[in-house]
Amino acid sequence: MKHISELLEKTLAKSPYWTEARYHRRNSQSLSVQKGLVKQAKSNLTSGVGIRVLVDGAWGFSSTSDLTADSLERALKLAIECAKSLSQLKKAQVKKLPESHLAKGEFKISGYDLLKQMPLEQKLQAVLKAEEETRKNSSLIQSATCVYNELFEDKVVITTDGAHASSNLARSEIKLGAIASKDGEMAESHESVGKTGSWECLFSKNSLAEMSQSAAKLAVDLLSAPKIPGGTATLILSPAMVGLLSHEAIGHTVEADFVLSGSVAKDKIGTQVASPLVTLSDSGTVNGIENTGGELLVDDEGVLTTKTTIIKNGVLNSYLHNRESAAIFGVTPTGNGRAWLYYDEPLIRMRNTYIEPGHQSLEEIISSTQDGYLVDCPLGGQADATGEFMFGAQKVTRIENGKLTKMFRGATISGQAFEVLSTVDAVSREFFLDLGSGYCGKGQPAKVDAGGPFIRCRATIGGVQE
Amino acid sequence: MSSPFKNEKNRLETAAEKLLSYAIKSGAESAEVCGSYGSKTKIALEKQDYHLASSDDGYSLGVRVIKDNRQGFASCNSTEPSELKEIALRANEIAGFSPINPHYQIKQGENIPTEAPKNLMDPALVDLSLQTQKDWTRLMVAEATKDKRFRINEGAVEIGSSISLILNSLGTHQSETDAAASWSLMGMGVEGDSITSFDYFSHMTRKAAEGADKIILSTRNFVEEVLRNLKTGKSESYKGLVIFTPRAVLDILVSSLAYHFNGRVIAENIGRWGMKHRDQKILNSQLTLIDNPWLRDRSGCSSFDREGTPTKPVCLIDQGVLKSFCLDHYAAHALQLSSTGHAAGGPSSLPTVGTHTLCLASGNSTRKTLYTQATESQKAFLVVHRYSGQSDPVTGDFSGVAKGAEWWVNGEKQYYVQETLISGNIFEALGNDLVDISKETEVIDCDEESPTLLINNISVTGG
Repeated sequence: MKHISELLEKTLAKSPYWTEARYHRRNSQSLSVQKGLVKQAKSNLTSGVGIRVLVDGAWGFSSTSDLTADSLERALKLAIECAKSLSQLKKAQVKKLPESHLAKGEFKISGYDLLKQMPLEQKLQAVLKAEEETRKNSSLIQSATCVYNELFEDKVVITTDGAHASSNLARSEIKLGAIASKDGEMAESHESVGKTGSWECLFSKNSLAEMSQSAAKLAVDLLSAPKIPGGTATLILSPAMVGLLSHEAIGHTVEADFVLSGSVAKDKIGTQVASPLVTLSDSGTVNGIENTGGELLVDDEGVLTTKTTIIKNGVLNSYLHNRESAAIFGVTPTGNGRAWLYYDEPLIRMRNTYIEPGHQSLEEIISSTQDGYLVDCPLGGQADATGEFMFGAQKVTRIENGKLTKMFRGATISGQAFEVLSTVDAVSREFFLDLGSGYCGKGQPAKVDAGGPFIRCRATIGGVQE
Repeated sequence: MSSPFKNEKNRLETAAEKLLSYAIKSGAESAEVCGSYGSKTKIALEKQDYHLASSDDGYSLGVRVIKDNRQGFASCNSTEPSELKEIALRANEIAGFSPINPHYQIKQGENIPTEAPKNLMDPALVDLSLQTQKDWTRLMVAEATKDKRFRINEGAVEIGSSISLILNSLGTHQSETDAAASWSLMGMGVEGDSITSFDYFSHMTRKAAEGADKIILSTRNFVEEVLRNLKTGKSESYKGLVIFTPRAVLDILVSSLAYHFNGRVIAENIGRWGMKHRDQKILNSQLTLIDNPWLRDRSGCSSFDREGTPTKPVCLIDQGVLKSFCLDHYAAHALQLSSTGHAAGGPSSLPTVGTHTLCLASGNSTRKTLYTQATESQKAFLVVHRYSGQSDPVTGDFSGVAKGAEWWVNGEKQYYVQETLISGNIFEALGNDLVDISKETEVIDCDEESPTLLINNISVTGG
């Protein structure tokens, strides 16, 4: 990394403008097994430098995979040319970037070396075994899949105003799927986990064997589960569902670029937007939970990541910022500028997004629910700038008179996020970040995590109309 | 080909040949190299303003090796011999510890038919100046912001050129050049307290001469569609007739259906249909579905696939009867058939099975007739344009939010609805529940094509 740092420094020394040079080397491995056969076993190496400049209030960007002084200088010139061409068109010119907690030094998240030292062959054996165990859990399992992905990220970010950080981290994830079949009926289930750190981190909550068992059982159970009747209902959302709500339906609406475009969170700072029981944060690290899937110490603008309390006791407290949006709002950048690869420019992205835990136990919340559903195992979802969201859930269990009763087939829940959060009347002390295997999409992917406690709320559940 | 890319093509070809040679020298019985070079300039919009201009280019090379029926793959974004040697070794190393699978195949490609599209690169587009690109972006911004109620969240105008290359140790050598201008917008409508959902569109052309006009027209249509959603209300809950316009048909129904034509799904016996269903009626007899890679104005146009196999139009369903599957060499070997040119992917991924440009054929009724039929059967019904939700390809179940959906009562459109969920099953929707198909079709995002469908027994849950 020393050679790279020197190369970037020399390039920056040639720029008369504010300039950021970002080296990124990613080594990724991917393994995929289905029905005992290896479908994918691959390795990828991508490296290069992205150069971003601010000239006459406009941004220019260029990148190169040729790590030579000449090539970097050419990229710098192209970036300057691009910025100059845009400066006459740009209405709101970026005057000056704000004071920031700029990172200096080396930043390494534990587990990188351990994961790298573990041979890929050993990982493949584990993946083959997990897929086989999933299939062998029940004769009704027609097919199973197991996918393992890992990314080793090495970065150097240098800016002309003082950031100089090198960082290393490793992210890994494992995903299991099972398809059960009986009498022409089919059902599918998924289990996944994603962490930043070593192989062992992946299994700190459940072992791979437990995940196999769980995926197989859910697929078999879903075979005989009926479809859910649609309507508005009382829902207890699991930590993973809460994570999805926090990330998709709230988190995106408070990204400052969306706010400036007119998202539903615009002009709402200081306004009560949720139940007083709700405190929602986005952070590079999470107190008490190590190796989260979205763990990040330095962002791709060279800013130290901080914990941002988005909603505090139901009141909207902060948006998420990169350096440019922080300048517009007159606040300090929150370390949310992230780029997927060297040829991507940093955008405002989340890291770990979660609702803070409460004081009740899940058992107490269920026993005090007369009529409702426990919603778990998210299948993904989308949300709008309006806060309107749609999430799929694999597993929905009826609650009647304080007890869990019948299980239903997966359903979709929907509502307006802030309205739904305003109905929250119970928050559990059990607290997990369960979405570490997920990627957020916003033009470029980003590795994120999300979660929280179990919460009780009211929302629409989509099902069958008779 | 335009002279500026001669050097790049030579560099890519040389690197690919070296990589192939390194892979064989490292122990592979057979090897395949997929390579690409791409260059693009982009002007990006954000927050109602010009945001960033960028210029990039780069190479990507991937090598797949087969040794004792074991497969390995590695890729990089460099043409440096040291890195190419490293990934050739890595691919062989992975093959060394991967289990045996007799279906891994690298085969000699056939010649591309003369009818297949050639010369996708318009030299005028390659030579387009940054100034013209700025002018086009200005046209898009001017059209989008004519009505002050429309807000641009982000967008871009991009001019990209690419070279794709497949070669293997059995003599296959295919290459293709392409250039396209593409543009996209994500935005919403705001009027007082009324805010629409975020909406997104993208469009492209391969002809420089068409760029400006197409940008204006497509942006105008998009903005009008977004602003229509400002007048919203609630729908009622019911189970019955729903009209699916072309984008909804493709997003909800056809995308899930494609899973069941995937040859690898057939080979693994994890789909709804198998070899025994060929030439059997599987869906409503009004349905004909063709995958056509030879449509020059579509983004999925290509003369060869990820394995170098020439592409051709393939009829998947003819009047409800299953005619063919989508096969790469792996699936073809497993099913003892021939590849249909459906290997998908790029240099940094192994071949998978994918479709090119799915086209659902038109029906016999006018679109207006479909609305009349719905009105005669039901007092009120939903018209779905877009969808945000889950479609489980295995079971065929779908459930999600109908975005920008219209609520019709007594034959009159009332307003657009929010928070309305729809659910159903694609096999039933495209089977017995399919009532009628319009004769008018639409091309969505310059790729797939569909008519409007009237479908019964869809569950609608009003918010």
